[in-house]
Amino acid sequence: MLDVRNLTKRLPDGRPLLNGLSFRIEKGEFVALLGASGAGKSLTMRAIVGLTSVSEGEVVFTGETGKIYRTTSIRRQDLRRARRNIGFIFQGCNLVRRLTVLDNVMIGRLGRIHPLRSWLYGFTDQEAREAMEALDRVGMAGFAARITASLSGGEMQRVAIARAIFQRPLFYLADEPIAALDPKNAEIIMRLLQPLARENPILGAFHQPEAVTRFCTRVIALRKGCIIYDGPPRLSADDLSAIYAEPSSETAVRPSLAASA
Amino acid sequence: MSAGKFSVGRYHRHARMAAVLAALVLLAGWQCEVSLSDLSKGIVKGLAMLSLFFPPDWKAFPEMVRPALVTILICAVATPIGTAFSIFFGVAGARNLAPPWLRLTSRTLIAIERGLPEIVILLLLVAAFGLGPMAGVMALAIGSIGMLGKLVGDAIEEVDPRIMDSVAAVGATRLQVIRHAVLPEVLPSLVANSIFRFEVNIRASVLLGAVGAGGIGYELNAAMNQLEYSRATVAALTSLALVFLSERASDYLRSRVGLGEALK
Repeated sequence: MLDVRNLTKRLPDGRPLLNGLSFRIEKGEFVALLGASGAGKSLTMRAIVGLTSVSEGEVVFTGETGKIYRTTSIRRQDLRRARRNIGFIFQGCNLVRRLTVLDNVMIGRLGRIHPLRSWLYGFTDQEAREAMEALDRVGMAGFAARITASLSGGEMQRVAIARAIFQRPLFYLADEPIAALDPKNAEIIMRLLQPLARENPILGAFHQPEAVTRFCTRVIALRKGCIIYDGPPRLSADDLSAIYAEPSSETAVRPSLAASA
Repeated sequence: MSAGKFSVGRYHRHARMAAVLAALVLLAGWQCEVSLSDLSKGIVKGLAMLSLFFPPDWKAFPEMVRPALVTILICAVATPIGTAFSIFFGVAGARNLAPPWLRLTSRTLIAIERGLPEIVILLLLVAAFGLGPMAGVMALAIGSIGMLGKLVGDAIEEVDPRIMDSVAAVGATRLQVIRHAVLPEVLPSLVANSIFRFEVNIRASVLLGAVGAGGIGYELNAAMNQLEYSRATVAALTSLALVFLSERASDYLRSRVGLGEALK
């Protein structure tokens, strides 16, 4: 379904941030991206949705009718068509704070409606009903008319999920959806994501190996932009220490510091 | 010598600077023909004049109501027009939305607008539109763009880029991102600022009126020119009331806009 081929991103000086990532994600999978901060988890997801340009490689996925989408394409119109099929679940704090909860969910459809319509008279009643269903699914229907800024972190995260559901994507990306949440809210979010993944696969970045073991079907671990593990979510202590080990000495000293020393 | 200790040298340095400054002020005053005898004469004459302004000729008040309304209308038309254009200039002048050449053009234009006082803009416009409320409306609208356009542009640059990314990621076009993420984030502050600008415009329009843009300022100036000083007092008090009322109304309305903020 989602095919990431040789994804590479280099800094202008040639140092790689992502170094030839390749993986496939199939229907029914709930894949966790693990890795220390700076390993390239967020960058991978931003590259998949085309928010970051890549130096090399391709992101390709197929729709139900067999149509092929690429987010690494240069054409704006192609990118727009591809993006509307990807449900990117951002951290909840990235919702538009001054809009109501329902308006934030409706944003999920912007890629499918004509820009002129969204400027002039907004959304139809049918779309509003579907947005309410999405909110209902995450248990937030009662909050539809609230200003988003007044919600708690856990509530915002659920609204962000509702936006992605309303988008009706082929697969989901979730960038650290439980990073800023307390354990109880994190549990709620994971219990929402798990059944969602059975319908459309999820690729999510996480920092919580124990939650990943309980809820996910597969782990891809990154270290310095390379895949160092791709397999079942049961990680041994050795695996974990390899993922989160201190950077080795040659990368610990930054070039700028080395020059001034 | 440590910094805290009294220094004779430093004391003399300050005294020298004060002496030079005083000499410059005196020289400038002499150049501008400022004289103490004129000041004292002026004060005596002014006090004698003051009696001409009082008591106010309250019978003239009904004739002031219409010009006062004209002043309010001039601002009520000019402020929304200025606000609408300021959105355009603000978007064009925001680093995160506009390419550098467009940003520079927009920012330069609104900086020029800010640099020109409304009265200068009015004098330029009078040449094109002639005297009257139309020129006043245009002058105030253009003046408003200078201030509001800058505030809108700055507010847009403060919008969290991840909020805009999260909307762009669903496949929204650039214009949709502006409509559904950027404008909702900056609109409350824009409304508050344009209400404040309305208040500023009321004050400015009294002055513009005196130059010929109509309204209460015109009445004030006309009464002065016809030496009807007690009538001028009524016009002055009316414009004072107008400014005071618009200030109260503006404070109240802006506190209402702030209610959305309080939900945070």
